[in-house]
Amino acid sequence: MNWQMHLNKLRWVVLSMVMFMLILLPFLHLYQSYVAAHAYDLLSPAEKLIYDSMELISAPFVSDPETDLNSFKGTSWSGKLFGITLSDPLALLGQITASKHIYWPFVVTALIPILYSLLLGRFYCGWICPATFLYELNDNLGTWLKRAGLPISQRRLDRRIKYMVLLAGMVIGMLSSAVVFAAIYPPAIIGREIYYAIAVGGFGTGMVFFLLTLLFDLLVARRGFCRYICPGGALYALLGRFRVIRIQRNVLSCNDCAKCNTVCQFGLDPWHDDFGQECNNCSACIAICPTEALIFKIKTTDTTYQGAGHLGQEYKKQQGEKKPSPGEL
Amino acid sequence: MYRRQFIQSLVVAGLGSLIQDESKAARYQTSMRFIRPPGALSEHDFESRCIRCGQCGEICPNRCIQFFDTQNGLASLDTPYIIPREQACILCMKCGEVCPTGAIQKIEREAGSILQFVKMGQARVDEQLCLSFQGKTCGVCYRACPLQDIAIRIGMLEQPHVSTACVGCGLCERSCIQIPQAIRIIPNQQGKQVT
Repeated sequence: MNWQMHLNKLRWVVLSMVMFMLILLPFLHLYQSYVAAHAYDLLSPAEKLIYDSMELISAPFVSDPETDLNSFKGTSWSGKLFGITLSDPLALLGQITASKHIYWPFVVTALIPILYSLLLGRFYCGWICPATFLYELNDNLGTWLKRAGLPISQRRLDRRIKYMVLLAGMVIGMLSSAVVFAAIYPPAIIGREIYYAIAVGGFGTGMVFFLLTLLFDLLVARRGFCRYICPGGALYALLGRFRVIRIQRNVLSCNDCAKCNTVCQFGLDPWHDDFGQECNNCSACIAICPTEALIFKIKTTDTTYQGAGHLGQEYKKQQGEKKPSPGEL
Repeated sequence: MYRRQFIQSLVVAGLGSLIQDESKAARYQTSMRFIRPPGALSEHDFESRCIRCGQCGEICPNRCIQFFDTQNGLASLDTPYIIPREQACILCMKCGEVCPTGAIQKIEREAGSILQFVKMGQARVDEQLCLSFQGKTCGVCYRACPLQDIAIRIGMLEQPHVSTACVGCGLCERSCIQIPQAIRIIPNQQGKQVT
C-alpha cells in the first residue's frame, strides 16, 4: 500500500486549515480589541457572540488574550505564527524593488519560505496558498458546469507569461515606488479581503480583481491564473528549479490510463514524464493513479520520457505481443 | 481588429493610472485629511516599504487604523491610515512592533522616545470655533491629550495652546465636542526617521 496516495487528502486538510486561520484571525483581532476595551457590557448581541465564541476557542491556549494573541497575526502574505514572523518571498522581492533598499529583519522573515521553495519547488502553491483552495474549488465548479453542458474553454496559453508578469511587476514597482505585487497576488488579496470583510466592514477593490481571476479560470484557461499569470507562482517556480523532491513515473507499473493528465489542474503531462518546474506537488496524480506508478522521489532532475507504460496497450504492441484477452488479466 | 485595440487601450489606461498625477491624490484634499500610523516613514518611503500585509490594523487595540481603497490613488492602495476625528491613535506603539518591513518604525512606548520619534502631525486650534476662546470654559482636548502640559498647555478659561512637541495622535480632535471640531491635526507627511 502506497502511503503517498493519501497526501492529497492531507493537503486538503492543510489548505482548509490555512483558510480557517485566515477567517479566525480577524475574529480573534476583534475579540482582542473588545478585551482591551473592557467593554463586554457595551457590546451588541452580535459582538457578544464573537466575544464568547472566540473566548471559547482561544481560552485553552492563552492566559492573557490581550497580549498573548499578538503572536498570531497577519496572513500568508506576511504574518506571525506562534510568534515567528514569516513573509512571502514575493513580498520581499516587491519591497526591495520598490524601495531600492534592503531591510534585513524583513529578509530574515522570508528565509524559511525561501528554503522550503528551494527544496520543494512550488510547494507553497499547492499546499498553503489560500487562493489555491478557492481556485481548486472553482475548477471543480468548472467541471460540473462542463458536465451540465456549458461550453467551458480550456485554452492553453504560454507558461512563460507569468515570468513576464513577475518582471513587469518589478519594473512597475521600481517606477511607481509601490509594491504592486500586493495588488495582483491572489493569496495576498484573499488574506487581506477576508480581514476587511470581517473586521473593517466590507470587501475592497481586491475582491473584484480576485473574482475576475475566478472567471478567467472558468472561461479562458483551466487554473489559468496560477499557470500563466501569477507572479508568485513564477518566483516559486524559479526558486524550485533545482528542487530535490519530484514526482516520478515508474514506467514498469504504468498502464497508460492517462488519468494523471486529466486530474492535473496545471495541465502537466505526468503520463509522458513531463513535470518541469511548474509542478506544485499537489499529488493529485499520485492519489488517482490506479497502479501506484507515480511516486515522490528524492531527485534533482526530471526524467526524460521513458516510453509507454509497460502495462499499457502501446507497450505491448511495440513488443509485438497480442492483445491480452480478458482472461489473462 | 476592434478587440485588439480595445485591449490595448485598456492596458494603456491601466499603466497610465499607475503613474499617478500627484495633485489628484487625496492627501491634498481637505475631506481626506489622514495621518499614517505612529512611527511611519515619510510618505514616499512609506509607500515603497509597506507590503500591505495589514498587520498594523490587526494589532491595533483601538481599531483606529483603516486601509485605503483606491481613493488616494493606486500607489497607496491597501496602505494603513488614521482619520483622527473617527478614531484616534492611543500611542500604544504596537503597529511599529508588528510591522515586518520597517515602514512603521519600532518605537519604545515611553514618553521620551515617543516625543523624539513620532510626528504624525501637529494639532491646530481654530479660535473661531473653540468654545474656550468664545468664553465657554471647555478644556476637553487638554484632558484627552496623552502628553498633557508637554504637547498642550491650558490658559485662561481652559483655552488650549498647542506646542510643537505635539506628536499628532489626534485624541484631542477625536474628543472635541464642537461640530465641526475646533482642534485638528495637520498631517505631517515627512515622518521622523529613527536613526
